[in-house]
Amino acid sequence: MAVPETESMQDLRQRQPRFSGLESGHRACQGCGQALAARLVTEAAGPDVMIANATGCLEVFTTAWPQSAWRVPWMHSVFENAAAIAAGMEAALKVQGRQSKVLAFGGDGGTFDIGFQALSGMLERNHNVLYVCFDNEAYMNTGIQRSSSTPHAAMTTTSPPGKRRMGKRHLKKDLLSIISAHHIPYAASSSVAYPADIRRKVRRAMAIEGPTFLMIHSPCPLGWGHEGALTIEVARLAVQTGLFPVIELERGTLTDCMPIRELHPVTEYLKLQQRFRHLFAPDDPRATEELEHLQALADYNIDTYGLRGERPDPLDTEGADTVHRGGKVS
Amino acid sequence: MSKKSSVILTRGAYAQPGSSLSFRTGTWRVERPVHVHHAAPCHAACPAGEDIQGWIALMQEGNSRAAWEGLVTANPLPAVTGRVCPHPCETACNRGGFDEAIGVHHLERYLGDMAIREGWDYPVPPLRAGGASIAVVGAGPAGLSASYHLRRLGYRVELFDDRPEAGGLLRAAIPMTRLPRSVLDAELERLLMPGINLHSHRRLGRDVSIQELQEDHAALFLGPGIHRPKPWSVDGAIPSDMEDALHLLKGWVDHGDVPKPKSVAIHGGGNTALDLARVMKRAGVSDVCVITASGLPGDAAADDVMHVVPRELDEAQEEGVVLYPHYTVQRLLMHGSKLVGIEIVRLKKLVGADGARHRVPFEGTERVLDVDMVVPAIGEAVDAEGMEALLEHADYLRGDVWGRLLGRDGVWVGGDARGDRGTVAAAVGDGTRAAIDIDRVLRDEPAPDAGAADLETIPLQAMNLHYYEHAARVPVQKVAVSERTDLTEIEGSMDAGQARAEAGRCLACGNCLACDNCWTLCPDSAVLKTVERATDGSHYLFDYDYCKGCGICAEECPPGFIRMVPEA
Repeated sequence: MAVPETESMQDLRQRQPRFSGLESGHRACQGCGQALAARLVTEAAGPDVMIANATGCLEVFTTAWPQSAWRVPWMHSVFENAAAIAAGMEAALKVQGRQSKVLAFGGDGGTFDIGFQALSGMLERNHNVLYVCFDNEAYMNTGIQRSSSTPHAAMTTTSPPGKRRMGKRHLKKDLLSIISAHHIPYAASSSVAYPADIRRKVRRAMAIEGPTFLMIHSPCPLGWGHEGALTIEVARLAVQTGLFPVIELERGTLTDCMPIRELHPVTEYLKLQQRFRHLFAPDDPRATEELEHLQALADYNIDTYGLRGERPDPLDTEGADTVHRGGKVS
Repeated sequence: MSKKSSVILTRGAYAQPGSSLSFRTGTWRVERPVHVHHAAPCHAACPAGEDIQGWIALMQEGNSRAAWEGLVTANPLPAVTGRVCPHPCETACNRGGFDEAIGVHHLERYLGDMAIREGWDYPVPPLRAGGASIAVVGAGPAGLSASYHLRRLGYRVELFDDRPEAGGLLRAAIPMTRLPRSVLDAELERLLMPGINLHSHRRLGRDVSIQELQEDHAALFLGPGIHRPKPWSVDGAIPSDMEDALHLLKGWVDHGDVPKPKSVAIHGGGNTALDLARVMKRAGVSDVCVITASGLPGDAAADDVMHVVPRELDEAQEEGVVLYPHYTVQRLLMHGSKLVGIEIVRLKKLVGADGARHRVPFEGTERVLDVDMVVPAIGEAVDAEGMEALLEHADYLRGDVWGRLLGRDGVWVGGDARGDRGTVAAAVGDGTRAAIDIDRVLRDEPAPDAGAADLETIPLQAMNLHYYEHAARVPVQKVAVSERTDLTEIEGSMDAGQARAEAGRCLACGNCLACDNCWTLCPDSAVLKTVERATDGSHYLFDYDYCKGCGICAEECPPGFIRMVPEA
């Protein structure tokens, strides 16, 4: 195709060979996992969607009024009711006889904790909504407070390590099991390190009539304390260690998982992040104990979900993002 | 805000879609990503200067013809070098540190053979009207390469050789098991295109002189090869019936006959020694050994390793040739003037008191081999006939990095005659460089300060290997030892599927793989995909208006094509 030299970057941006529901110019931090995950979701969901967005980083950094980074109809209300708003949007569309799919976006705070009741109700009422939780494991927008998704032993401003505690005392809530217990057709987890996996799961969920749920592990360089450049590396190690299982549940039954081909020890994941630095304090037996504890939690996941790959698989942790000249096959 | 009356604004706010584009987050940046091309190690290692990674990329795209045309911009003899080259590219290949090196020689041969089969014409421009003519002496790899590259640059070439056909050492001494003559003929037939006029049976000194050639042509390239065996003796002792290896090998190629002693020791560590050893073994000599001061590949320093094609070494051993690496011949055991055995001693190249590396024999490691023939294969020198004035009793013709003969204007030299080459690929590279330099001199353009600057390559550690899958090298059929003859080629060809699979293993070191990782993984959508507008061999542009400089693209770029540099 002949393209004039004078074509502006903005013009080139307008003819990118993919749909992107989230534009540049948003105010996310450098290396933000959530910004990437949200764009990937809209890319796979396509232009004919509407989004209800809970309060959180995603809402704040995409909509500094009078601007918006969204290119699809998007609505923000408050922290706790993204699922309820989405349910209302879906019902209204149904009355109007329109087919647009409704998505609900929330962080882990708005999903695991504050918006949990509304989410449970939306699932129970069987609304045709895909709820996407961008899981960065704390209230990052308000200044890194612990949520029920914060992993055990992680440091946040409300779970500081010190003489009495080694970071968060409690465990990460197993939200996916709770969601799945609503007997919905599809609930899955994915990671920003595996874009092809995200796309596949979004498409799968979009094709289902009824409530579906996707949780995407999305590192927060600021809150986790790692270089923005390492967002993908950190997210990938969370999967490769077994700390963040990438699984699919249908009607409450585990139906698939991303097998781990090359299993990494949890320390490889933890040592890249300042939120776990107290676990590497020399000569502190509590640090050693917590490292062992986290390894045991990873091993538990590997056992529970059968994550250990038996042979190389094109959809395992090594195969799922293999590159090919001319782009990935997804 | 929308002014449409149908939009009812209640409490809250309304914004136009995508309006955040007016906010340029690029101002946050302290480092910016840039595309940085590095030469792939194969490219830097190729004596012929092939951008191997580049033509393999075209194979990955399924474009064999473009791949071949890219290949022959450097090396016009791919069907030949794909068979006979010791492929330093494969030794250098980064994939060797990941699983197994790319089978470059298989792919090169595949493209060369395909070009022969399809009758593809070399991509050369029409002859320049009134263009100067250049004389080239020697129709071996160096002379053929110089002729071809001069022809590409628009010159008419008069090519002189004393043999009836072109090919030089390729035709005269390489066994047909490595290089079928039908392949050589087919490649040379197309290479000797209009504008390259071969004058066979014309011998320097006898039929033409350097002076005549210089007077009649704008420039002269010498690629005479080396045909005079270096003197060999052990403390002055020489068996009366001794013949050197290259002479025996040429005789065998010409009339199919070699001497058949009961046992033979061949002294030398190059392809000539190995080729002759295998020919004699196949001819029925029961004990054939090769004694070489050099070491085996993988078992010796780079400057102390046998100059052979690695797979030929394996094949020779399969066929029963016995190797004595790191040995030399110390004494001949003679019965009158007849050889009855040799004494060999172990030695190694070691750094001496003067800081240089010397071969040091180890006392007490001597052993006697019961052989009735010894064949020196320690190399040859330039045959001085017709070039006495240029050689001045030296063994070789010395040239600068571009091949300009030292001390004589208007004459270039390349190939084995330089004394430090020894491979077809190196000769091809000499021809290329000389042609470029001749063109430059004839156009009155200044020579660059130094020679070909060393290409900066990318190490495996600078790449993100997570994105590549392990895959074993595609195996290629070989004729079983028991079925090998003097005439059939031993190593088989790849079929289209195998070639595609093997090309697909290339990591694209230091170059853009067009894998979309940067485009996919940028949280700020600041990488734009465009095949048409990217001019640096990639498919992407950075949109610095929005790039915040997080560095994800550089971190996750599999071939290491993206670097972060500080903002000015």
